[in-house]
Amino acid sequence: MILGFDLILLLFVVICAVAALSVKDLLSAVIILGAYSFFMCLLWAEMGAVDVAFTEASVSAGIGTVLFIAAVSKTQRGSKD
Amino acid sequence: MRILALIAVIITGAILIYGTQDMPDWADPQSPASTHVSPRYIEKTLEETATPNAVTSVLADYRGYDTLGETTVIFTAGVCCILILRIRRRHRK
Amino acid sequence: MFDFIISKYNYWIYIVLMMIGFYGMIGKKNLIKKVIGMNIFQTAIILFFISTAAKRGGTLPIIEHGHGHEMQAIEAASYVNPLPHVLMLTAIVVMVSTLGVALAIVIAIYKRYNTLEEEEILKHKI
Repeated sequence: MILGFDLILLLFVVICAVAALSVKDLLSAVIILGAYSFFMCLLWAEMGAVDVAFTEASVSAGIGTVLFIAAVSKTQRGSKD
Repeated sequence: MRILALIAVIITGAILIYGTQDMPDWADPQSPASTHVSPRYIEKTLEETATPNAVTSVLADYRGYDTLGETTVIFTAGVCCILILRIRRRHRK
Repeated sequence: MFDFIISKYNYWIYIVLMMIGFYGMIGKKNLIKKVIGMNIFQTAIILFFISTAAKRGGTLPIIEHGHGHEMQAIEAASYVNPLPHVLMLTAIVVMVSTLGVALAIVIAIYKRYNTLEEEEILKHKI
């Protein structure tokens, strides 16, 4: 386990989580959530869970983002908070 | 209302952080999760299933029924999405 | 004290992530934001479970020299615990299933009320 790499990844993950919840534009929030999923996938690959990492990269960061974009495009894009 | 949510979140977080002091150290090889069941999977996977990848052999061989239940979950989710999102045609009288 | 922080700080950051997701679920008014909070919460819990599998000095759970060599004694301490990985693979798939159903319900609510804000939906009396 490399301490600095671990800390930087955890910092990025927390920043992405806060940004995804505080951005007003829903499409931006969804794309930031995709970035969050990829950082999470990197964190798991660093811990040695490679199968989980590429399942996350394909399923959660791929299909999840596509589902979110479909839902946002069928509804409205702005939000009040 | 937002203040109430913040208070609930902070109290829950404080309780969870208080609970971590009884957890084993991070990445400890002697933690109970790593000493109880999983050494058997690692040691026997090559001779019992002839698969070097322990995750795959546990997923599809030792715990295959778990994966079967997972496919049931996906099927149910797909049926739910179809039932919620279908466009109902009105019958003409 | 320093050893205590070094051995526990990962758990604290996971709990911070969980609480960010929890606040998104109960504090935000927009329905899509609530679903994003749910996603963050579930991912943080999966991260916590994966972290219990980590071992200091352990490598990936793929047995070295698997084929074509003499059967050697396999040390369980030199490989990462594979069991949480398997359980969390199932959990990720269930997470995406719940995400799909939640977004379908959000679209159905939008079709009926023409808004995504919780307060405006609650103004309608059935």
